[in-house]
Amino acid sequence: MTPPVVAMPSIYLDHHATTPVDPRVLQQMLPYFNQVFGNASSRQHAFGWKADEAVEHARQQVAQLIGARAKEIVFTSGATEANMLAIRGAVAARRGHGGHLVTVTTEHKAVLDVCASLEREGCTVTRVPVQRDGRADVARFAAALRPDTVLASVMTANNEIGVLQPVAALAHECRARGVWFHTDAVQAAGHVPLDVAALDVDLASFSAHKLYGPKGVGALYVRRASKIELEPQMVGGGQERGLRAGTLNVPGIVGFGAAAAIAHAEMAAEAVRVAALRDRLLDRLRAGLGAVTVNGSLTHRLPHNLHVSFDGVDGEALMTCLADDVAVSSGSACASGSREPSHVMTALGRAPADSWGAVRFGLGRGTTADEIDWVATRVCEHVTRLRAMSPVTAGTRA
Amino acid sequence: MSSAVYSAAVRERCREPRRAGAWPDGEPGVGTGSAGSLDAGVWTRLQVRVGADGRIDDARFKVFGCSAAIASASFAADALIGATLAEARALAPEDVAVALGLSGGKQAMAALATEAACNAVDDWERRTGTADWGPGIGHSADGQALSGGTR
Repeated sequence: MTPPVVAMPSIYLDHHATTPVDPRVLQQMLPYFNQVFGNASSRQHAFGWKADEAVEHARQQVAQLIGARAKEIVFTSGATEANMLAIRGAVAARRGHGGHLVTVTTEHKAVLDVCASLEREGCTVTRVPVQRDGRADVARFAAALRPDTVLASVMTANNEIGVLQPVAALAHECRARGVWFHTDAVQAAGHVPLDVAALDVDLASFSAHKLYGPKGVGALYVRRASKIELEPQMVGGGQERGLRAGTLNVPGIVGFGAAAAIAHAEMAAEAVRVAALRDRLLDRLRAGLGAVTVNGSLTHRLPHNLHVSFDGVDGEALMTCLADDVAVSSGSACASGSREPSHVMTALGRAPADSWGAVRFGLGRGTTADEIDWVATRVCEHVTRLRAMSPVTAGTRA
Repeated sequence: MSSAVYSAAVRERCREPRRAGAWPDGEPGVGTGSAGSLDAGVWTRLQVRVGADGRIDDARFKVFGCSAAIASASFAADALIGATLAEARALAPEDVAVALGLSGGKQAMAALATEAACNAVDDWERRTGTADWGPGIGHSADGQALSGGTR
């Protein structure tokens, strides 16, 4: 039985959640489902050799995108697993060095929750506050590093507000103190230039489906020069040089490699194109609505991200108004009489009301100027109408 | 919460909310009630105008909140038209939730709408000094006089 087909909005502006598989990527993946279907670990026959060849080619493609060497790439099921391997694996490997971790308050749950779980197991965690623009203060971050700090983890680009962190400077502080540095680079890879060697990070997480590859495959970059001996989190097969057991997802890995190669070739031009569309969207929203608050730095930001708050309007209600035509994302779901504001917005020092009114526009490879203009017009109409029915703009407070 | 989990009724009321609006503060014959708060993320404000026959002849709402909160307030405002004050107070969250197909935590939005409606009726009674308006009005089903206090 096939899954039910649900009517889809015609304009997709939620590319931070996921991206469609590029048709060129899909074409390269297809033979590996039923023609070159061998197990990459089957060393005894050509089916296995072909699959292994494809995996190693993809490893090279992913490495090239991020300025790494192929041997530094460990394929995983996605970025969540890569984060888990990096953080838990590093803590376990450096047991003798202490149990202190440093991260920042705007991290994705895939990092924060791993840190919290380690905290329950006896580690200590320092969550360094960010500045109002969402960027980490390097001096404040450095001050949090201690002699017993084993690892620091700071994302390259935030998944909500798209703000880019000063990763090179943070990694430099860690290198000077012998602290391993990990970055969750999921939102950045394939969208902005990323050179892990130049950034001098020790570990970095990636996911294929954020850069027009398939879901269910990701990678961890492990810097060889750091001589990191991570403790594997999945054992039972010895794949990926013993770091990640389990039969390799050959079609997925092939897709990841193909997506990385396309991003490598097209990223520079695409970033300029999509940033212009993002700016066009903001200009039109401001022209139609007046005050529109951009959350986080607009300068240090992913080119395809716009995260704004509309005063007096609930982002979820706006999403519902748009839902038949446009897919966007709001800060937080409202499931009961009260709710938690986005931890990222709170970290920026913003009031809960700013969080309720936040909407994330994630532009992508298929986004056109006509779509942006159409969306801007609809958003202005709906926000104006929602504001008219909002008691917040009526000059009263509950 | 994705829009797909909302009924067509919620989505329609969110896009075309009937009875959205407000009378100015102190408008004669109008009672105003609210529930929730901006800091909690949902704030429903509902107003009722009571005619000479003791029935609500118009109602208006304003909401800061999600689609379910908007739809609930709009539905409640519609449902109050022609109601006696006792009937207005008797409007239950379940009535609103069932009509709009709200489930789980979203039913809390229906409760905010009915709470705001009760508070609006209380406010009207306070303003007009008619806590004991007359037969069938301002009384519970068993004939006991209802409190005019804010709920």
